[in-house]
Amino acid sequence: MSRLINILIVAALTLLAPLSASALDESKAHDEETKINPKEIIFEHLGDGYGWEVPFNHHKRMPLPVIVFGSDGLHVFSSSRIDHGQEYRDGNTTFKVAGKDSPYKGKVVELVDGKEVKPYDISITKNVCALFISIMLTAGLMLWLAGYHKRHPYKAPRKGLGAVESILMFIYDGVIKTTLGRNAPRFAPYLLTVFFFIFGMNLLGLMVIFPGGANLTGNIAVTLVLAIFTFIVTNFWANKHYWKEIFWPDVPIWLKFPLPIMQVIEVFGMFTKPAALTVRLFANMMGGHMIVIVLTLLIFIFGAMSPLVGGATTVVSMIFSVFMLLIDVLVSFIQAYVFTMLSTIFISLAQEHEHKAEEKEKHKEERIENKLEAAASAAPAMK
Amino acid sequence: MELFTPDFGLIFWMFVSFLVLFFILWKFAWPVILKTVDNRADLIDKGVEYAQSAKEQLDNARTSAQEVLNDARRQQADMLREADKIKTQIIEQAKSAAQTEAQKVMDSAKVQIEQQQKEAEQQFRHQVSEFALEIASKVVKGQLSDPQAQSKLANSILDDIESKEK
Repeated sequence: MSRLINILIVAALTLLAPLSASALDESKAHDEETKINPKEIIFEHLGDGYGWEVPFNHHKRMPLPVIVFGSDGLHVFSSSRIDHGQEYRDGNTTFKVAGKDSPYKGKVVELVDGKEVKPYDISITKNVCALFISIMLTAGLMLWLAGYHKRHPYKAPRKGLGAVESILMFIYDGVIKTTLGRNAPRFAPYLLTVFFFIFGMNLLGLMVIFPGGANLTGNIAVTLVLAIFTFIVTNFWANKHYWKEIFWPDVPIWLKFPLPIMQVIEVFGMFTKPAALTVRLFANMMGGHMIVIVLTLLIFIFGAMSPLVGGATTVVSMIFSVFMLLIDVLVSFIQAYVFTMLSTIFISLAQEHEHKAEEKEKHKEERIENKLEAAASAAPAMK
Repeated sequence: MELFTPDFGLIFWMFVSFLVLFFILWKFAWPVILKTVDNRADLIDKGVEYAQSAKEQLDNARTSAQEVLNDARRQQADMLREADKIKTQIIEQAKSAAQTEAQKVMDSAKVQIEQQQKEAEQQFRHQVSEFALEIASKVVKGQLSDPQAQSKLANSILDDIESKEK
């Protein structure tokens, strides 16, 4: 009963909140800056930035180093110097963040004779900083686990480490060993690194404030690099049979000579696999972030219409965003799992032997098909 | 669509940091973790195997003990049966031996008795004949003077007696 009363009180307060907000709004109704531009906010949150937002403050940002190779060499300076669009003169060159109508919108540009020129930019942006944090987190966690194993060779860890290890065993035994078989020890380090790295980045991205909040795995650059690594591992350690299947597959001769139709298709297939990996992870994670941001923005959009609608939207939006965030925790795991599993399958396909008995091949294909089906059925659920 | 164009700086840092992460974990974490995890799995497998074989052995031991016990029981029963047989055999033998012995004794006794009877008869005959002779001599001494007539008479009397006896 008292719980119900509490819930009602909270609901009433949330209904009232936009009233005060709109009262504030009216005092500066003429101020253009308070107008909400949902598109800009969404893209600002999903994208990268030269500083890291501080909670409850829209103007101050944690400064991060800007590193650029301009026309006259390396420049390193704090992002606080160019934070609000002002120009900064470092040595003989002037830098600023490009404005909204520039083709380099939001990036640091060098001003040469009044023209904007994009330098080579390897700044420690928000995403790069979050990347470092997740690297440290992943490395720390795994080194901790390794330390535990060194100290207790035959004891399974409990509690936190036990959870980490059970996930590890889930991936190692359930995905890597069953798919790769005797090749498992060779590729397990790469695959496990990928899994924990993605999982860590996904979860950090769900946190709203400092160590998290960066939409890392929802950034195509990150997923692209991961997919490129899988591509490299797949093709560099591929066996003869794999290359034979690409350049001289078992098809009627007119399909591969004189016109190399099958070869073109197979080579194209080599590149579609990492492309699919890139887009799948990127789109899923970005979609999750976007839904939560949109749901939050709905409050302000409807709040601008009328306080009552705003209040109602607040309740609905909050419930939905909490629900979506919980789903995103699940999606974080599933996407890391799917990425690892697909990488494992691509690698294992490049490891298959011709001379292995047909039934084994068939068996493996069946298993892969099952896994793909499972992944496919899991994928739409999260969109 | 800045979201769909990968940013050079991020790609660069991603490459570098992923390689660093992979190197650290490949060098310091994965070998230790995977080795102990595999070792532990092996240990558990071996333990299960060992327990299974121990159980099997125990079962085997139990059945073999039961077999030995059954064997002993069977032997015991056999021995008892054997002993019983021997016992009855001995008794039979003893019985038959006693019977033959008794028969022998009885036979010899019969023979002796017959012999003695014969002897006694003989003796009795002698005595009777002596008595008869004496009586007859005494009787006839008075009646008959002729000894030939006397003995003739005596013999006829004796024959009478004999035939009466038989």
